[in-house]
Amino acid sequence: MSGHAAIEVRQASKTYLSKQDQVDALTAVSFRVMPREFVTLVGTSGCGKSTVLSMIAGLIFPTEGEVRLFHEPVRGPSRRIGYMLQQDCLLDWRTVEQNIALGLEIQGQKSDEMMKHARYLLNELGLGHTLYQYPSQLSGGMRQRVALVRTLAVQPDVLLLDEPFSALDYQNKLHLEMLVTRVLKQQGMPALLVTHDLEEALAVSDRILVMGGQPGTIRRTMEIPNDLRKANPLDARAHPLFRPLFQELWGEIDQ
Amino acid sequence: MKKKHHKPHRSQLHANYVRRIRIQEFWVVFTRIALLVLFIAGWEYSADAGWIDPFLFSSPSRITELFIQMAGSGNLFHDILVTTVETILGFALGTLGGISLATLIWASPFLSRVLDPYLVVLNSMPKVALGPLFIVAIGAGYGSVLAMGVAITIIITTLVIHTSFQSVDRNYLRLARSFGASRGQLFRKIIFPASIPDMIAALKVNVGLSWVGVIVGEFLVSKDGLGHLIIYGFQVFNLNLVLMSLLIVAVCATVMYKIVYWLEKRLLKYRMAE
Repeated sequence: MSGHAAIEVRQASKTYLSKQDQVDALTAVSFRVMPREFVTLVGTSGCGKSTVLSMIAGLIFPTEGEVRLFHEPVRGPSRRIGYMLQQDCLLDWRTVEQNIALGLEIQGQKSDEMMKHARYLLNELGLGHTLYQYPSQLSGGMRQRVALVRTLAVQPDVLLLDEPFSALDYQNKLHLEMLVTRVLKQQGMPALLVTHDLEEALAVSDRILVMGGQPGTIRRTMEIPNDLRKANPLDARAHPLFRPLFQELWGEIDQ
Repeated sequence: MKKKHHKPHRSQLHANYVRRIRIQEFWVVFTRIALLVLFIAGWEYSADAGWIDPFLFSSPSRITELFIQMAGSGNLFHDILVTTVETILGFALGTLGGISLATLIWASPFLSRVLDPYLVVLNSMPKVALGPLFIVAIGAGYGSVLAMGVAITIIITTLVIHTSFQSVDRNYLRLARSFGASRGQLFRKIIFPASIPDMIAALKVNVGLSWVGVIVGEFLVSKDGLGHLIIYGFQVFNLNLVLMSLLIVAVCATVMYKIVYWLEKRLLKYRMAE
């Protein structure tokens, strides 16, 4: 079974060391993300959600336990991962076109063909006209969409989302949620989202992992009913099942 | 229909607004020029009327006369050229050297920690006090003057740029590392370009500083250059010469500053694009 998982975290613990102190951030975290699955980590701030994501992205390593990406142990950043942060992190000295090329440049796979694909994605997200503009000329929602194109341009096999919708206003947040879920479904790409927004978690995911405690661990797994999964993030919020599940999730977090 | 009615009203409003701004701008420029004319005229008149001693404070006509006389002989341009070249060289070497040193220190966190206290000491020290050392080591010539221009800019540039390298938004680095960026790539793609605004700021400061270094250097050693003219004029009590040289320094320094300012506008055009 585990052989099919896109992401597998096994008994991972993380301890941060400093001169004065050691802080246990995570203890014995285990979960899997299957192909085509959208999994969300929720929990109060400081429960280690982002630490889990950084471990999968290969930016930090677990003190104990193991992280696997398509069966392979994670030993550093992988080309198969697309990573999106809360901040759009667009480089303000680069045009939109140069920004979406950043990942390709770093990975040494910038070619006419790859750039054509990147521009195609930009067009798909309704930003074709911004190609030669600078980030300072774009609105917050547009900037985050450019960041999405930059992430997708390297053609990753799995998407890691570290609260990418949190800094946006409600309308833009909804738009981007719809966009991301649509892209993921189209490409059949698995994703792991970290958020503290419970509504968002319910609206976009197939499965929610509730984290908590100090050090953080997974307290509960909530499978989202099929009806809700199929609905897009906007319709899901209006679904009769939505409120009760929200209450349940809220009770879980609140302890 | 309503819009049609609305439009001339708005353009009238706008025209009034533009006119008000233009009038303000005109008065600013006018007052500026008036102040200068008034100052020069007042200076000239005070000297002629004997309110101030023209032997000590010179006068605009005496300075102009001297300028024409010296410009005619060609020596003046030689002095201007020498000082300007020294300053540009000192400024360029100091700034580039500072950026290179900062890069070197960034490349090795160990070196950075080792050198930190030395940089602090060097930075706190008044660099012009090194003058005698330079003269002994390099000799009383252009070399020492140049060394002074470099010394006064290089340490502060190193410190400022290194701090700038370190204060690049961590999320940018996170992003680049998630793409698998090496340390060299982090530097080339993110850290260095992100620090360009700070480098331009350093350039602006260094324009002023390198003039200080070179003029003081010329006070100490040189046989030509504007600094030499100033100190020579002082020694023979020719205040016309001192003031004329000062004015030329002011003009040259302003021109250099303007060039850097223009460079800033060009390099940072993405910031102006709103």
